[in-house]
Amino acid sequence: MTVRNRKKHWVGLRPLILVMALAGCGTTGQSDTLFQELGGHEGIDRIVDEFILEIANDPRVLPRFEDSNVQRFREMITEHFCMVAEGPCEYTGDSMVEIHAGMELSSPEFNAVVEDLIAAMEQSDIPLAAQNRLLARLARLRPEIIRI
Amino acid sequence: MNRCPSRQTRTGGMMLPGLLLGLLLTLPSPPAFSEGRLAGTGGVSSINGSGGGGLTGWATLAGYADTGETSGTVYASRADVDDFRLDVFGASATFSNRLEIGLARQHFTIKAADARIEQDRFTAKWRMAGDLIYGKLPQLSLGVEHGRLRDTGTALALGAADTQDTDYIISAARAWIDGLFHRTTLLNVNLRRSQANQYGILGFGGDDPGREWHAEGALAWFATRNIAIGAEYRQKPDNLSALREQSARDLFLAWFPNKRVSVTAAWLDLGAIAGQSDQTGFYLSLQAAF
Repeated sequence: MTVRNRKKHWVGLRPLILVMALAGCGTTGQSDTLFQELGGHEGIDRIVDEFILEIANDPRVLPRFEDSNVQRFREMITEHFCMVAEGPCEYTGDSMVEIHAGMELSSPEFNAVVEDLIAAMEQSDIPLAAQNRLLARLARLRPEIIRI
Repeated sequence: MNRCPSRQTRTGGMMLPGLLLGLLLTLPSPPAFSEGRLAGTGGVSSINGSGGGGLTGWATLAGYADTGETSGTVYASRADVDDFRLDVFGASATFSNRLEIGLARQHFTIKAADARIEQDRFTAKWRMAGDLIYGKLPQLSLGVEHGRLRDTGTALALGAADTQDTDYIISAARAWIDGLFHRTTLLNVNLRRSQANQYGILGFGGDDPGREWHAEGALAWFATRNIAIGAEYRQKPDNLSALREQSARDLFLAWFPNKRVSVTAAWLDLGAIAGQSDQTGFYLSLQAAF
């Protein structure tokens, strides 16, 4: 195959490649860090407060948190969100795998917690763009959380 | 063409589903409601009977059943273009986010003649691998759609080879949570092996068979968590020497107020249909999931 032919071959895929490239650029090259977009320490504290309330009112997943120490959960999830958002924090808790190993969490349970987090961010007036940036980063951790 | 489309009186075909939907909206959510998947991931109901977009099905499975759950949908859709109207009523069931089966009845109306052609659709779709949102692999599905004409006269008179046939579809879909402009963005591509003339309404195959594999694509962009806007494109077979057939496309807006209902409106460009050129118009679809 000549170089010219190869070039031609890709022309039809251009719109597809453009979409994928644009979709990918959502997570890079930001001047503002996600931490700032979420409202800094104050914003993350509010999200976590609302998140705990949402979980407490969600019969789909509440039983999974029965043995949790709410205060420790609050501190660790706050640190974790801050770290994931590239804020000035160090996460001092256990790894996602260590926390969830043996729980055999299901896909519906994972999605229920995602919905609780979305509701918490809505309650906290977090802009949709920042919500999606945080969710996309957390979604990558899914294999370290469910079915283990 | 004396065997063709049965004459019938005009009735408010959309009225009953509308009432049904109104009733569902007022009902409280029962605890057994299967909704393990995230809002919007079930897409809407296509005119083919398969879940996804409006013009064509996607790799997504209808409803919100996740692993270990079962869900269902019922829907009513109307495509109204210059000289024709298509009403579709259907239902689907999805098992464990793995298998979707669907049944639909299409009523095609030729406005000038007030004549109608009906087709039954039987669909099945299997999620082979991957996931719409999570992991490296997009959701990959294999679909079959069987169409069976109830009124065969028009198709046979036009030279169609068959009055029933099966389409085979390979689909891939991916939704990026943090997509274009930090909005959730879904892309679906299909390869469809089909001989259907105008979705099967004018039969299958013909005296001048064209290519059998056809490309379809859709892009949806969630402006908010509940509102998606997007576009679809569908190549179509061109098997009848007497009637040229062209690709179809649409621009749509879908509203998912919750996981129970969705409302989709679209602007359609279906190209030439049965000798009438530039068939454009509107599409409206209501879906209830449970």
